[in-house]
Order: sequence, then C-alpha cells, then structure tokens
Amino acid sequence: MSAERTLARPSVGHAAHHWGDLANDAAAAELLQFALAALDARGVSYADVRLIEAEELRLYTTLDAGLDERIENNLGVGIRVLVDGSWGFASVPVSSTADITLAAERALSNARAAGSVANAYRTELPPLPAASGSYLSPVETDPFAVAASERYELLGQILAAASAPVEIVMAQAGLNAKRQHRHFANTEGSVQHQHFIESGAMALVNAVGNGTMQRRSFPNSFHGNTAQAGWEYVEGLDMVAEADRIGREAVELLTAPLAPAGYADFIIGPAQMALQIHESTGHALELDRILGDEANYAGTSFITADAVGTLQYGSEAVNITSDPTVPGTRGSFGFDDEGVPASRQPLISRGVITNFLSTRDSAARIGAETTGAARSDGWGYLPVCFATNVFLEPGEGTTAELEERLGDGFYVDDNRSWSIDERRHNFQFGTEVAYEVKNGRRGQLHRGFSYGGTTVEFWNSVEAVAGPSEFKAFGMPCGKGEPKQWGFLGHGASPTLVRNVRIGVDR
Amino acid sequence: MTDTANDIFAPAFGGDRATSALEEALESAPADRIEAFITSRRGDFTRFAGQRIHQSQAIDEVQIMVRAEVDGRVSRAAASSFGALRAAVDRSCAAAAQQAADKVTPAPRQTPLADPGADLGASSFDSGILWGEDTAAWSVGEHARLADRAMNEAQALGGVAAGMFGRAVTEVAFHDREAHLSRHAFASEAQGSLTVRIDDGSSHWKDLTRFSDRLGADAAIDRTLSQASRTRGRAKLEPGRYDVVLGPLAAGELLDFFGAFGFTGSALGAGFGTVATRGGEQVASPLVSVHDDATADIGLPFPFDFQGTSKRDVPMISNGRAQSVVTDRETAFALGSESTGNFHIAREEAPHAIPMNVVLRASDSTEDDLIAGIENGVYLQRFWYTRTVDPVNTTITGVTRDACFMIENGRIAYPVESMRFTMSVLDALARVDGVGTDSLSQPLMNVFNGSASSPAIRVRGFSLGTAPVSKGNA
Repeated sequence: MSAERTLARPSVGHAAHHWGDLANDAAAAELLQFALAALDARGVSYADVRLIEAEELRLYTTLDAGLDERIENNLGVGIRVLVDGSWGFASVPVSSTADITLAAERALSNARAAGSVANAYRTELPPLPAASGSYLSPVETDPFAVAASERYELLGQILAAASAPVEIVMAQAGLNAKRQHRHFANTEGSVQHQHFIESGAMALVNAVGNGTMQRRSFPNSFHGNTAQAGWEYVEGLDMVAEADRIGREAVELLTAPLAPAGYADFIIGPAQMALQIHESTGHALELDRILGDEANYAGTSFITADAVGTLQYGSEAVNITSDPTVPGTRGSFGFDDEGVPASRQPLISRGVITNFLSTRDSAARIGAETTGAARSDGWGYLPVCFATNVFLEPGEGTTAELEERLGDGFYVDDNRSWSIDERRHNFQFGTEVAYEVKNGRRGQLHRGFSYGGTTVEFWNSVEAVAGPSEFKAFGMPCGKGEPKQWGFLGHGASPTLVRNVRIGVDR
Repeated sequence: MTDTANDIFAPAFGGDRATSALEEALESAPADRIEAFITSRRGDFTRFAGQRIHQSQAIDEVQIMVRAEVDGRVSRAAASSFGALRAAVDRSCAAAAQQAADKVTPAPRQTPLADPGADLGASSFDSGILWGEDTAAWSVGEHARLADRAMNEAQALGGVAAGMFGRAVTEVAFHDREAHLSRHAFASEAQGSLTVRIDDGSSHWKDLTRFSDRLGADAAIDRTLSQASRTRGRAKLEPGRYDVVLGPLAAGELLDFFGAFGFTGSALGAGFGTVATRGGEQVASPLVSVHDDATADIGLPFPFDFQGTSKRDVPMISNGRAQSVVTDRETAFALGSESTGNFHIAREEAPHAIPMNVVLRASDSTEDDLIAGIENGVYLQRFWYTRTVDPVNTTITGVTRDACFMIENGRIAYPVESMRFTMSVLDALARVDGVGTDSLSQPLMNVFNGSASSPAIRVRGFSLGTAPVSKGNA
C-alpha cells in the first residue's frame, strides 16, 4: 500500500462523480480494510470506518461586498470502535496511511477510557447482516462543470432583481454545489460506496421603512435550498423572477397591516411546514433524544420510548414517514452512516406514532430494529440520530381547493423566527408572509404573523393536507452533538390546513 | 489512567512549519495579491449520558484557505492537508483570474494590514492568556473520572447526569505575501458542561476557558447536583412582568445576538441596527458595558483573525451607550476606519465581520447580593433556543429552563416551571440595576473560537409568558 493518497481513478456513473482522490471504489476499499486491520485482535467487538472526501463550491454576492467565491475540499477518516461495551471514536484528515493508523489507535484509547466508568451501562450491539453496494446521486448537469461565467452572470441577475426597489438595504444572492465520496466498511463485512452531488441557490432581501425592517427569502429562509441534484435544479428555480418577487414583497410588507393576535384557522405553506416537521416531529422522534443521550445539549423529547402505538400525536390527516429512498434532497441516501440500507419507515400513521428515528445503538436499547437514521457531518464527527427525509404525506386536492375549504383565515409561509423547548413541545414560530384568505380567496398581505402552542395540540389541529401536486421538499441544516456537528436533512409537505391555533404570540 | 494515543495535546503544525509552508506555497503564485491561513483544532471530547460515556471522541480538523486576488477580483480555495495546499493555491488563482476575465464586480477594497513593527495590538497582546499547562495535563482519563463521578452521584440521588468534558488545541497561522506578514498562535481550550435531572428538578452548568483549573469542575458537579435536588417539586409560574436575576448563562445568551442587532460594520454601513440608528445614545443601563474583546483574559482570547489583523477591545456598549461596531478589513475600509480583527467565515454563509469574544463586564455583586435586592421575583439559570423575532426592536424569544426559582424577600424561595418569554434584549439591558462578579463563558453559535462571557445581572421588569387570550377566531 502506498503511503500517499490514493490517486483518482473514476470508477462510477455520471462524469460528475469523477473527481478528487477518492472516486475509485476499489482503492477506497483498500484503505477501509487497512483501517479495519489496524484494529484487528484488539478486543474490538465492532468497528466501522468512514473514509470521506467532500468538496463544496459557494458563491455569494451582496449589495455591499461584491462577489465572494470559495471552494473547499477536505478528506479524512472517522473510526468508531466498540470495546468491552464502550464506544470510542477518532477522526483525522488523511494524507497517508499513517493518519489512519493514528485514528485507529486514538479510537481504541478512547473506548478504553470510556470503559473506566464504574457501574456503567455496557452497550451490546445486535449484529446486522453485511450489506454492501453503492449509491450515486442522480445528476443531469455537473454543477462543478458549469462555466464560471454562467454562474457569475446568474448571480448578478438575481442580485439586481432582488434589490431593484430603493427600500431594499440588504440583498444577497448565492449559489452552491457540493460533491462527496463517502466510503464505509465495518467488521461485519459491509463495504459501501456512496457518491453525492448537491446544487442549491438562495436569495435574501431586507427592506427598511415605515419604522420596520422586513425580510423575504427564496426558495427557503434557511440558506436558500439545496437539492441532491445537478445544476438542472438551479435552472428550474427561476431564481431571477423569484428574486424580483421577494424584493417587491419585502417592500409591500413595510406598509402591510400587522397580523392579528388571538386564535385563527390558517394554511401553512410547504417551507414553513418543513420547519414545523423538523422541529416538532423529526427531533421529537429521535430515539437518542428520547433516551437522554442529548439531554446536555440538543435536548430531550416529550415522547417516551413506549409511545409507539399509543400516543395520538396528531389528527387522522397526519401521516409522517422517514424515507431516504426518495431521491433529490439532502436526506436521500443508499445507506446511513453506520451502513444500514435505506428504507421507508412510517413514523406517524393516521396521527398515531408507529416508529422512531433511530440508530443501531439507540434501537438496541429498546429492543427494536434500527430505522436507519445514523447521520454524520463528514468524516470528522460521530454518526448520531438525525432525520433523513421526513415528510408529511400529501392528502388530496390543490392549494386553491384547500383555501376554499379554509374559508376565512390566512395562508402563511417562509420562516422568519423559530423556537421550541428542549422537550420539543412548546413552540413559537413566525413567518415572513401571511396572506389573508376571505371566502376562500387569497387577499391582502400581512406582516409579523406568528403562531404557537404545543406539539400534540398543533398536530391534532390539522384538518387537511393538500395533494401530491402541491408537495415540496427542502434540504435543511441542523445541529447536534458536542462538539456541535451539522446534519443535512430533507423535509417536505404540501400546504396544510390547521384550525383554531393561537396566533400573534410574539408580542 | 494513562492515555497512550491521546497524549497528543500540542499544535498540529507549529509556527515554523505552518508559516514556512504557506510562504513557500504562495511565493510564486500568479496573483496580484495572495494570502492564506491555516486553522487546526485537535480535541478530546468526553460526552456522557445514560450511565455511560456514550461519545468518547478525538477529533482533529484542519483547514488551509487561500485568498487570491487578480485585477481586484477575489477567490478562495481550501484544503485539509499540506499535500493539497498547492492545488488550493492554483484553484484560487485560476478562479480569481476567471472572474477578472469575466469582468465581474470587483471585490470590496480593504484597509491595509498594519505594519508589523507598528502593530501595537500584536506587540501588546499577552500570549500568557492563551495556553494552560493545566489544560494540557487535563487528560481524557480525568474527563472520564469526572463523568463517572457526576453520573454515579446523580444516580445515588435518584437522578441522571449528562454532560461533556473536553479540551482542544486551536492553532492559526497566517501569511500575506504582499504585506510580507506571517503570524502564528495557538491556544488551549477547556470546556465542561453538565445537566443533572432528579425527578422534575434539573440544573445545568457550562463554562469555557483556556485554563482547565478555572473550570472548577468538581465544585461545579457538586453545585449542579445540589441545585437539581432543590428544583424538585416545581410550582407553576404565572405569566407576567417580574424582577429577575439572570444567572451568568442566561445573561450570556443575550450576548449571542449582538451580531444580529447591528453591532457590525456591515449593519452600520447599510444604515440599520442599534449603532446606526442609536449610536451614542443610552440604550442600556449605565451599569452595562458589553465589549468584543479577544485581548481579555476571559472566554477564548486570540491575538488575530483570519485576515491577520490584530484583535482589539471594541466597546459595543459602554456604560449603557451604544458605541462601536466590529469590522473586518472590507467593512473597515467602507467606514473609513481600521479593522477590529473580526473577519469570520462560517459554514454555508458569506464571510462577514461578527463579534467573536463578547464580554459583559463584571462588577462587584455576588449572586446572593443581586437576589437580596428583589422582594418578589424570579431567578433564571438558563435560557433555551433563543431566536430573533424582530431585529429592529432587538426582540428575541426562548424558554427558561433548569434551575429557576421564585425569589421572596431577597431569598431563593421555591422552584418554578419553565416558561416561554419574548423580550427585547436592549429593553432588558436597560432595566439592569445590578451586575455580578463571577462570569461563565459559553460558545457562540456557529462561530469558530467564539465565546460569550457574562456574570449574573439583575433586571427590573422582565416579561415571562404569553398573555392568555380566549379561544375563537381572531
């Protein structure tokens, strides 16, 4: 084995996946086996190795700062071991096999330190059958192969459109692309190779006037939106026209009436529903939280481990699934980060909890099978329980039909403020826009809409969900763990009608 | 316990190796101007919960980022090893040249770097506040001992403990070819945090410092166990306006918002935010001074930023008056000032200047003194999930949690439940009539080497809860 980094030898799929030092699955597999061999006969009952190369391109332009362009590459290994019932983990950037050996030694040392606790719970990991294979993001146009001049021109057009009104004091346009080679092997014989491509865009404006500042964003308020797709995703967003729209809407909000306070019926658009799902369902159903693993940092859950089949979490209109097999978002994959094959898992059926988001470790503690939700931010961090693609399943009809069903109320969307307690129960969210709906027709724009309540109360207030034609999915960032790592997930929904929910809660 | 592989507690590269690698790589690069920085962070983090150490981690991270400028256009490229540094130089130069060929809008101009010989910030910085041999000796085995103690003593009280003890070495090297400037520094970091729950009672502790001895980890475990016991049997708290003592962690969380509320050069340049609209005005109590000060021996001090600029003491609020903003070289140029050394690049964000070592200056009251000044009120240990609601009015929302108590007749009376609050940060700071003496530090969210440090404060009139309304459509 060479002491140097393995040279790229493209071995897979679309040309977009042929880049970097870890494109070659066979060469990566050799390094994975080298790492496992370094752990051999060291009292290890289980180990896994993740060898990852990631590269991310980001371009931003703002009114006051011109163009900022950066491309970031990293390559490293994360090794996790289970020794005498205690976990140890180590990660290092990789320049040579010596780095891999060092990570193996440190992971073993950490597991032994963890094992020194008196009266400690000893982890037993039920074995899983070996699962080997590969996964590639579907991609039509390599976002890294797009001519730089095309990106620059598009950014300039987005910024110009977004900032056209004089009231816009801050405007930002962004484009991003990411590609990853993620290779995995464990001591059970699994060897997996996944190659991901992402593309995204964003526009954000702030208008000032009339004693207020109003923000609008597109396609989502969390760093825009990123899809697991090629440049075709960005082309399909119609960013220039949308930037023009949000610029005008931000100005309109400056003089829009303040949304009222009290209780109201309203429809929540897909972007805000994605956050609602993320905060009050995805996190609440993470089994590691439920079992207390995140009590010191990300929080716990009001859900208990015996809630499956018993807790009426929402109304009968509420069906929520975890499904990483759906392609196209940041929660799509072939295998999770501890090598479990992706599968569709109903989490809430007709309002009743049917399963949790879990990892092998957390599932084993309640005697269940993992639902394959171990995720990590690259090679540097431990896989922990993050959402995958957690979707509110569509119901029937169009948004217009849902508004007709609503009668009087609001159509709200795009988050501007969010907060939820550490048990994922008491929440308060604000949206960028709220359109009044009168007699089933959308009318005047209102600013400052907020709503709040408790999780179970909210989901039981869901009367109807629009149909599949209205469904939108979003890639979202999330934080967990100490030190904090980022998770990248997918959430989606169709517009959702809720009744008699408290609004105007942030004043 | 002996830590074999984990006895590595030293900078990943060292100054000579890091700066010479940068100098060599940049020397003949085809760019009008070129600079680069290296950040490395090597840490051991012992995380525990559920009567086990569930995440015993050693994490090494490296980023080398090159900034090339061609005909006024700028591009950056980053790698994670010296082996890939040349490629990063080539990529940044090529991309900047492409921008120039495409005649994209030039990057904003920058203030020049200070002449090394005239850089008072560099010469006056006390490097003794960066490195603690106590932290170097604070091994993974010691972290495990503390975790063991916390979990087993909580269990003996019928409760559970979860937390983290960790240490890290942060190293930054910088080189600017045209300015002939190289800088290098490294720092130790020790952090501890603990949440103990006993029945419905809970308490939390967290602190962050260059020196592990200052954590007082064993005493913190004792305190947290005791407070968790005392918060059992919580009473319901009615919504209303209360005189409160915010413990150091709750008060420190308010500091997280100074970047969003207009204490940055970009906000001042755009004409919005506190300094732009109320600069020089009394926006907080005269007892309140909030500085961004990475030269002070508190939190996570560091001598310079990723642009090689020496950090300064920036009084954002001085004796209650809105005063100054933090800047990088770009925003400083636009404002006609000098950079305060606050350039930052966060994940999935454009680079910008932000507060990075925020300090609410301590005074001389103990927490008991502050509590003694309240006849009827509330002690709030900690806030949770605070987020901006209205940046113009500096309004945030969040919930209170862990060790929260009613105060009666100047004494802690009985524990109370958590409650949501929505409140203007500046309004709260304007109502401060007492500032404590002992500070705790906590990380700033998504800020490399960022910290917020605060003592307890007493606030007269803090809104808790949401006013009830009757059901029925608005």
